[in-house]
Amino acid sequence: MMTSHENEKEKMDTTVKPSSLADVAQSKSIKTPGTRAMGTGLETRGVHAWFGKHHALSNISLDFAAGTVTALIGPSGCGKSTFIRTINRMHEFIPGAAMAGEVLLDGKDVYAPGTDVTKIRLQIGMVFQKPNPFPSMTIGENVLSGLKLAQLKVENKDELLEESLERAGLWSEVKDRLSAHGGSLSGGQQQRLCIARALAVRPQVLLMDEPCSALDPGSTLRIEETIRHLSDTMTIIIVTHNMQQAARVSDYTAFFLSDGGPGQMIEVAPTSEIFSRPQDQRTENYVTGRFG
Amino acid sequence: MALIRSVFQDELDSVSQSLVDLTEMVSISMSKATRAMLTRDLKLAEEVIAEDEKIDEYQHEIDNRIIDIIARQQPVASDLRALVTALRMGSDLERMGDLAEHVAKITRLRHPDSAVPVELIQTITAMGEAAEKITIKTGVVIATRDTEMAIQLEKDDDVMDKLHRELIGVLIEPNWPHGIESAIDLTLLGRYYERYADHAVSISRRVYFLVTGKYASL
Repeated sequence: MMTSHENEKEKMDTTVKPSSLADVAQSKSIKTPGTRAMGTGLETRGVHAWFGKHHALSNISLDFAAGTVTALIGPSGCGKSTFIRTINRMHEFIPGAAMAGEVLLDGKDVYAPGTDVTKIRLQIGMVFQKPNPFPSMTIGENVLSGLKLAQLKVENKDELLEESLERAGLWSEVKDRLSAHGGSLSGGQQQRLCIARALAVRPQVLLMDEPCSALDPGSTLRIEETIRHLSDTMTIIIVTHNMQQAARVSDYTAFFLSDGGPGQMIEVAPTSEIFSRPQDQRTENYVTGRFG
Repeated sequence: MALIRSVFQDELDSVSQSLVDLTEMVSISMSKATRAMLTRDLKLAEEVIAEDEKIDEYQHEIDNRIIDIIARQQPVASDLRALVTALRMGSDLERMGDLAEHVAKITRLRHPDSAVPVELIQTITAMGEAAEKITIKTGVVIATRDTEMAIQLEKDDDVMDKLHRELIGVLIEPNWPHGIESAIDLTLLGRYYERYADHAVSISRRVYFLVTGKYASL
């Protein structure tokens, strides 16, 4: 049983703190391709996923170094989205869904008994394919809604609001109309609003499931810019069907494929390697557009 | 899963075929230049000089097609390597065409005399033959992407290098009887053939890279 003091301490840990320049510098310094996460990363060990009897994903072990962007590519049905949903424990929402394996954040398994799932989702944020702001909330309320839901305290809401929108690349476009409804924004702006909402709780990891597939090219490029900037301070995993996007935004690329059985990870390498000299013929065939 | 992008594949194949055609043009040009040199044939030399323009134009056309494919198809992996190396191979071939033209220009400059004294006819003939052999092989390497043959091409270049050293050896002898002008002509000629073969080796190395994604350590 937690004492009230410990309880207080626990709350303080989840209180939003400004990221220091030192943190940024540290995450940048380990962003060299080929280096391993230095204790602040995410890794999966032998992850399997099922939907009822259907084995959807087999034995995925991947390291995601802090401050890097990893793109997951592969044809539809290869288990990319399922995989990232196992990372923040969203997979288990689906009736009949099951998983095996470990997802380690800072070395701790997010599936360990007694883990607070809400807390995990604060640390591992997610942005979805279709922008899903709360339509009846204002822009400002949307950004801060995560804090409210998780009952997190923040000293200066205005500062956090501005910072989150700034990091999501939306501040200059909405600063004069923070009380307008989220639904009044364009699709691209709504998606950046959703990114700002995810950022407001200061996650360590951001999962993005085809975040640009419903957006026009201009909005897509703006989001890609945002991803590049965000990767200075956090770990990003992006599922994308747009291979040029994977090539533009990611440091590492993992290729997933299902040969009729469960989805498997065929190859992972620095993105420049995957798009210039992939090792596996199946990767080569996919990235060159020979199938898929 | 079904393989797709057949139009793109046709475009890539057509670039490769164009490089083979360009190699053939260059090969014919160098053979003619050597023959013109050895037979003091001014007309043939003029022909080589005129044909170099066609080689340049064809190289530009291939370049433009490659740039167009890159812009429209966004190639990656081996496709990207094929197109980037094709750009560079085109530039090597264009340079080989220039060297054939340089040989022809020496013939024209010295006409009606011969730039090659009798005692060196055999060496220059051998250099011409080595150039011909290496260019034909280069065409085959581009067409077949045969990495073994690409590596072997280096050995053919050794023959050219040996002939080049022999030529220089004759030119630096103290009792060279044909004067400075002739020595300069022949030094340049030797250099042209030697560089010509080097470009062919460079092309074969690019083919090796395009196939394997690795640089050949020959």
